[in-house]
Amino acid sequence: MAAPPQCIRVKNRLNHHIRTIGLHAPPIPHCPFKFKVRPPEDQGSATEITERLCMKISPLELLLLEMSSGFYLGAFLLYLSELILSRPTRVPWAPVTAGVGGVLFQSLAIFIRFGFQGHVALLSLREVISFFSWTLVLAFLYLEHQKKVRILGLFIFAIAFLSTLLVIGISFHAPLFATKAPIGFLLSLHTILIDLGLASAALSFIVALLYLLLDFFLRRKIFNRFFSRMPSLETLDQLNTNFNGLGFVFLTTGLIFAMIWSWKKFGSTIPHASQGRLAFMGALFVWVAYAATVLLRWSRRFRGKQAAYLSISGFLIFAATMFALVFFSKGSHFIL
Amino acid sequence: MIKITLAGVNHKSAPVDVREKIAYPKEHLSPAVRILSREENVLECLILSTCNRVEILTITSNIHPDPDFFTSFLSRTHPALSSIPIRPHLYYKTDTEAVEHLFEVTASLDSMIVGEPQITGQVKEAFETCRQENTIGPYLNQIFQRAISTAKRVRSETAISHLPVSISYAACQLARKIFQDMSNKSVLLLGGGEMAQLTARHMKKMGVRSLTVMTRDPEKGKLLAAEYEASYAAMERLEETMAESDMVVCSTGAETYLLTVPVMENAMERRDFRPLFLIDIAVPRNIDPEISRLSNTFLYNIDDLKSVVESNQKEREMETYAAREIVRQEIAQFQKWRAERSAVPLIQALRRHTEKLQQSEFDRFSRTLESLPEDTRKQVMVLAQSLVNKMLHPTYQTLRNSSNLEEAWEWISRCYGLSPELLSQDNSSREEGGPADNKSSALDPARPDFPLPGEQSC
Repeated sequence: MAAPPQCIRVKNRLNHHIRTIGLHAPPIPHCPFKFKVRPPEDQGSATEITERLCMKISPLELLLLEMSSGFYLGAFLLYLSELILSRPTRVPWAPVTAGVGGVLFQSLAIFIRFGFQGHVALLSLREVISFFSWTLVLAFLYLEHQKKVRILGLFIFAIAFLSTLLVIGISFHAPLFATKAPIGFLLSLHTILIDLGLASAALSFIVALLYLLLDFFLRRKIFNRFFSRMPSLETLDQLNTNFNGLGFVFLTTGLIFAMIWSWKKFGSTIPHASQGRLAFMGALFVWVAYAATVLLRWSRRFRGKQAAYLSISGFLIFAATMFALVFFSKGSHFIL
Repeated sequence: MIKITLAGVNHKSAPVDVREKIAYPKEHLSPAVRILSREENVLECLILSTCNRVEILTITSNIHPDPDFFTSFLSRTHPALSSIPIRPHLYYKTDTEAVEHLFEVTASLDSMIVGEPQITGQVKEAFETCRQENTIGPYLNQIFQRAISTAKRVRSETAISHLPVSISYAACQLARKIFQDMSNKSVLLLGGGEMAQLTARHMKKMGVRSLTVMTRDPEKGKLLAAEYEASYAAMERLEETMAESDMVVCSTGAETYLLTVPVMENAMERRDFRPLFLIDIAVPRNIDPEISRLSNTFLYNIDDLKSVVESNQKEREMETYAAREIVRQEIAQFQKWRAERSAVPLIQALRRHTEKLQQSEFDRFSRTLESLPEDTRKQVMVLAQSLVNKMLHPTYQTLRNSSNLEEAWEWISRCYGLSPELLSQDNSSREEGGPADNKSSALDPARPDFPLPGEQSC
């Protein structure tokens, strides 16, 4: 049976990925398409690795993602209505409840996904985005409970809704990397921690934007409904500092785990292959940039607005590097 | 039929020289209520007297008292008013309009400053005074309860009372937009202007950690400091005190800038560039406006605070639309209650009629019933009663929910063959709680709430 061209592309991508991180997968009996994948060069004997390539997501996971995106949309609209109506709602618990509903469905979807692939590493872009939005919503729900920063909900649920839509969209168009191969604890931790770092940086970015907006309103004496809904500058600055610190801790520990994994796998913390080296350079660049922003925040001159600008630039560098890795490292980090 | 009538004067209808003459001092309110309750046809009454309004609400049977009744009552209870024509200033509302007006007054939608909270308390006080004088009956009680509940809903479901509409409160609102926790913030009161003092008092209420007073005249400053439980600092210590303060309220009589850019730059350096909130209420200004360009300093002058107040007032005005919707919902609920209550005499009349029929049928079959054993006879009577109740239940519901009670009653009286005299029979099961026993109540069958079916055809 001749494989369709898309599957061949996927096979090549898969081959490359397996060569890079050394995956081994047992044959899956009920696979519609079967390929003989070239084994990694460092393996002694040729190993026949068969991968099941599926063009569609598991129906249950898709249903759960659709439901969570629906709940996120509902939460976003409820927060938006609060802003437009500019009055205390009769059901203040409604948007948070919608958010909790969404996060529960997404948790189930992620759980099913992890169960389906047999490991908890985030190896594809859709997994990264799904986990990212899930983390954002969870962090917001905690903040809403602790600090009552309702305005943040408007942005978080908009991002969560768009992210889940993107995840569903990617699921339709990209094959899943459905291997049962053991990925390893270190690699799983590395991917999860880096994603958590990205989510913290994103939260810091949103809070910094809100800070700049409130500062603008206060200086220009603009007292509109959005202004009346915003928390204090001090609250935003404090959140910004906390998320930045948290993001830096996640990033650093995530990178340390990646280096340990690399050292165990290849005997060196700096990868020799060009793709791995690109990832290493990117990670180093992000870490140095982020470390600089965190260190500068400790300086007393970098308070308020300056700190907000630092957070914005820190997140942009982080996100840009992640996307650069996605598009230029040719599968050594993500599978699109 | 029970009639609800309201008349009064307020800040919109009468100037202050009229209002001050009409207002009842606290000690005169009870006697005035007593006099009003003795008037003919008045079943229940309430007088609300505040600095901005005097309103009289009456519940009467069958007829609305005309406006002259109220002007004459006001003239009698205020001898000084005889020289002033009250009628042009008096507004007069009946039934739903009257109740709606009272709901709006209680919810502070009709106040001079929309959303101010005092009026709800004043309505409660007026009600309590009238209750002690025994002039509150079931109707006024219901109106009062619903008015208070409307006011609560308006306060909790709209932002009408959330936005401050005074300069000093506006300053506090802005402070809350800059600082999260007031308990670790210090305020410097620079000068002893009246507005600055008021602002400092509000900030003290917000729970700031410390308040420092700084004036050119040490004696005045120390007096002020003692009044606000604050500490006093001499003018020479300005830069040092600025470094420790998070909010500065400035209102001195100085004609030059006391706080200039170099002074502020130095102070910001000393305070590690933490945010500083500056309020300049003085005219001419005491703080150089260029300071607002510095990072982490937020400067507001009197015009800026006025614009905050204006913006808040506009927001409150916008909120009145939502508040009026709540009033409309509560009015609908009250109307429903009133309709149900109006149906009570009719339901009682119908019940009497059926009981009569039931009794006559029992009499007709008395011999047969007597021949039955005691238990069986009781069961038959219970069965008959249950049958009648079940058959009449939809009719009772129709009467309770009917928007046109007269028409409904006409149909029912035709169906059941009821005589017009039925309603005028003495009702032994009269409801309790009326204000005066010697007066007719809303449910008094001697004064039916509407023309009987027989009379309607005339």
